[in-house]
Amino acid sequence: MRKRILGLIVTTAAAALAFCSAMRSQTANPGNSASHASKAMPDLSGVWRRSRTAPDKTRKYTIYELAFSISNDVPPMTPWAQEKFNANKPNLGSRAVPLGESNDPIMQCFPPGVPRVYLIRGEPIEFAQIPGRVILLYEYDHFVRNIYTDGRGHPADPNPAWMGDSIGKWEGDTLVVDTVGFNDKTWLDNDGHPHSEDLHVVERVRRVSHDRLTIDATLEDPKAYTKPWTAHWVYELKPAWTLGEMACADNATYGDMQQKSEGTK
Amino acid sequence: MISKAATGLALALALAIFCAPALAHHGAATYDEKLTTVKGTVTDFQFMNPHSAVLFDVTGADGKIEKWTAECASATTMARLGWNKTMFKPGDQVTVTGNAAKSGAKIMRLRKVVFPNGKEQMIDRGEDYAE
Repeated sequence: MRKRILGLIVTTAAAALAFCSAMRSQTANPGNSASHASKAMPDLSGVWRRSRTAPDKTRKYTIYELAFSISNDVPPMTPWAQEKFNANKPNLGSRAVPLGESNDPIMQCFPPGVPRVYLIRGEPIEFAQIPGRVILLYEYDHFVRNIYTDGRGHPADPNPAWMGDSIGKWEGDTLVVDTVGFNDKTWLDNDGHPHSEDLHVVERVRRVSHDRLTIDATLEDPKAYTKPWTAHWVYELKPAWTLGEMACADNATYGDMQQKSEGTK
Repeated sequence: MISKAATGLALALALAIFCAPALAHHGAATYDEKLTTVKGTVTDFQFMNPHSAVLFDVTGADGKIEKWTAECASATTMARLGWNKTMFKPGDQVTVTGNAAKSGAKIMRLRKVVFPNGKEQMIDRGEDYAE
């Protein structure tokens, strides 16, 4: 009788042990666990270019129009910014001066800053995603922005940089990019709107359909603008395109021709 | 006799076809909105960034040769519009239409080219980064 009870205890223990092992290996596999709801990360990857179709589909924008500025609603400038704006001499648009008189930093191929890197010549961009990072590639002068999505914050005291310091987080299907740490040497757009080192740019990037991506940008810089400057950009997928090479320094070879056409050389 | 209405319509159509993108822009227009057409012989084709250029010789009525440059978008943009570096060869007889520089310099923004084989290429000005 004792032998049978012992045998029963051993069998039950063995069964329990086996059952517990099975349970442990199941919870260790995230795919099977209900508590670890894994959601596929949104995929922004591809080459994208600003859509030329107007929202009401009545006309096509030119790339020049789309590239000129952030939006048509420029917020009021502070006196500090107005003075800088007046001193900035672009080579494009209604305030244009001849090439030789322009002090636009991109004429010397300095980095365009954010958000001008999106605008400048209307060239395409590309998103690439790796763990902990979204990499934004620009055809314009092969600029790269690393948007760290690994949970890090901005450095406590960032060195002022042409392109700023970018971190990002996912809010559902939207990538929210936060950029600070700018120097004040760039123009915001091709019209010569200035900014300070306090510039704070937030870009909300969302792939609304397979072929369409939107970026809602908000610029805050109270030293320069009394209100935030917002923009809504629509991008379309260019499946047949790869980013080409556009070297800003090649501009130097064109400068001569441009000055001749202007009659200033 | 052509009615005023018909003339107006024809003018509007011509403007729409050739000038609509240009008229949409204000700014330091280096180039005339009016179109100029010249026939000449290609001497060079520079397929490059930031602007490509076709260089060609135009023989004036007086027999003198004018050296013209017709510039268009970057090589990357033009390649996406179907262009390539072998499209023009020195010696090609071409008819070029474009917006000539107001300064009088023999430089124009290329709008249309007719190749030796009669084929025409219009450039969608809105597609490239041009004022």
